[in-house]
Amino acid sequence: MSSETITLNPQLAWREIEGRVVVISPADSVVHELNETATFIWKQAESGRSVAEIADLLSLEFCVEPTQARSDTEELLRMLLQKGLVTS
Amino acid sequence: MNQTPVMDSVIRRSMVGSVPLSVHFDVTYRCNERCVHCYLDHEDYGELETTEIKNILIQLAASGTLMLTFSGGEIFLREDFFELLEFAKDLHFDIALKSNALMITAARAARLRALGVRQVQVSVYSADPEIHDAITKVRGSFARSLKAIRFLKSQGLRVKIACPLMKQNLAGLRQLRALADELGISYVIDMTITPKLDGDTSVLALRNSAEDLLGVMQDPTLQGKAVLDDGSESGVGSAISSGMEGDAYDGIPCSAGHNTCYISPYGDVYPCVQMPVAAGNLRTEKFDEIWRRSPQFERVRAIRDSDLPVCAKCSIRKYCERCPGLAQMEGGDLLGAYERACELAEMKARVAGVANPVSAWHAQNDGKILSPATLSSLVQIASL
Repeated sequence: MSSETITLNPQLAWREIEGRVVVISPADSVVHELNETATFIWKQAESGRSVAEIADLLSLEFCVEPTQARSDTEELLRMLLQKGLVTS
Repeated sequence: MNQTPVMDSVIRRSMVGSVPLSVHFDVTYRCNERCVHCYLDHEDYGELETTEIKNILIQLAASGTLMLTFSGGEIFLREDFFELLEFAKDLHFDIALKSNALMITAARAARLRALGVRQVQVSVYSADPEIHDAITKVRGSFARSLKAIRFLKSQGLRVKIACPLMKQNLAGLRQLRALADELGISYVIDMTITPKLDGDTSVLALRNSAEDLLGVMQDPTLQGKAVLDDGSESGVGSAISSGMEGDAYDGIPCSAGHNTCYISPYGDVYPCVQMPVAAGNLRTEKFDEIWRRSPQFERVRAIRDSDLPVCAKCSIRKYCERCPGLAQMEGGDLLGAYERACELAEMKARVAGVANPVSAWHAQNDGKILSPATLSSLVQIASL
């Protein structure tokens, strides 16, 4: 997964509101609110960075070990993939 | 948008940061129907042009607006409407539409779906074509709107019927609900008929009396919120509401000016379509300047329920759905009480079993009721 680039689902409505990304799926009207970490990852994915690049930036931003950052990034992106919020 | 813990959290954070989370944007007042109860003047006095609207959408996105409702007038009369939708989609707005649907074809319904429109609210006034057409003053409009609703549904779009209750359509409410059920769509029954934006109160004669609405208030299936499989809700409510409900609004009159606002086809910015207090114009000012710094928005944001000189003391306040905009339009005072809200609150309290409910305003005025003539003289479309 590390070299992959993640793309945000273009059908979704979303906005960063007071530091957190809020996503609405028009297909089912479900509202998702991302936490601070997920918001960071979402914004990096939007700018076209690979999973590995996102994990490196997460490690720097939140002062966590690179392996932990990689694991957290991949776990979150898997969750977003499952919910259809991003595509790989 | 249903009340959920996530939605409540989003609303709370938008309130803390004064983010204009939801914006109602009328892109035209022109219309191809002439509904008897409509509050608008359908002449075009110089609508915003395509580039002006696109510029406003960019500003709204930058200010944090997520939910965008395009309304009118009839939105599809704008030849650039799909261009605007496409632009809004690229800015990641959550898009809802309000329309009479007369101009929605199968191809247009498919395009709306592709452009990520989440919901289309369609005005349907009766399940009886004659009554509906008499209200819209367009022969065949019922059949055309129904056909369009089926096109929208076939595309998997969420559709909602909006029905303001008037003397003409109250008796057919049961049939209208059955029609919505048959179509598999939700509905909102609105007991509000508002004065025209120019202050003309003649349309208020179409309102049902509180006594006539007793059956609606006594019907538990209308007072609750029935939820369909697609998550949409049916029941009595406001056809112009942002749809955002939550505990975050406790202690303030409503969401207007806190995290919602209204933009007219001429670029005027108001706290709400039912609060015609222009705070600025987007042809000459930036949205964020108006939203954050105009005295009108600052004043609306500062109002707390406890500031209402009469209503704060009212013993039946919990039955009241007082609208500050209508308080301004019908009573002449943004902080004041007004007859219609008091009447309906007393009726609701009676239905709930309160013995001899009297609103604080009626108690203060010895139960005197303002005549329509007095009401007309009180209507003000003025700056705060």
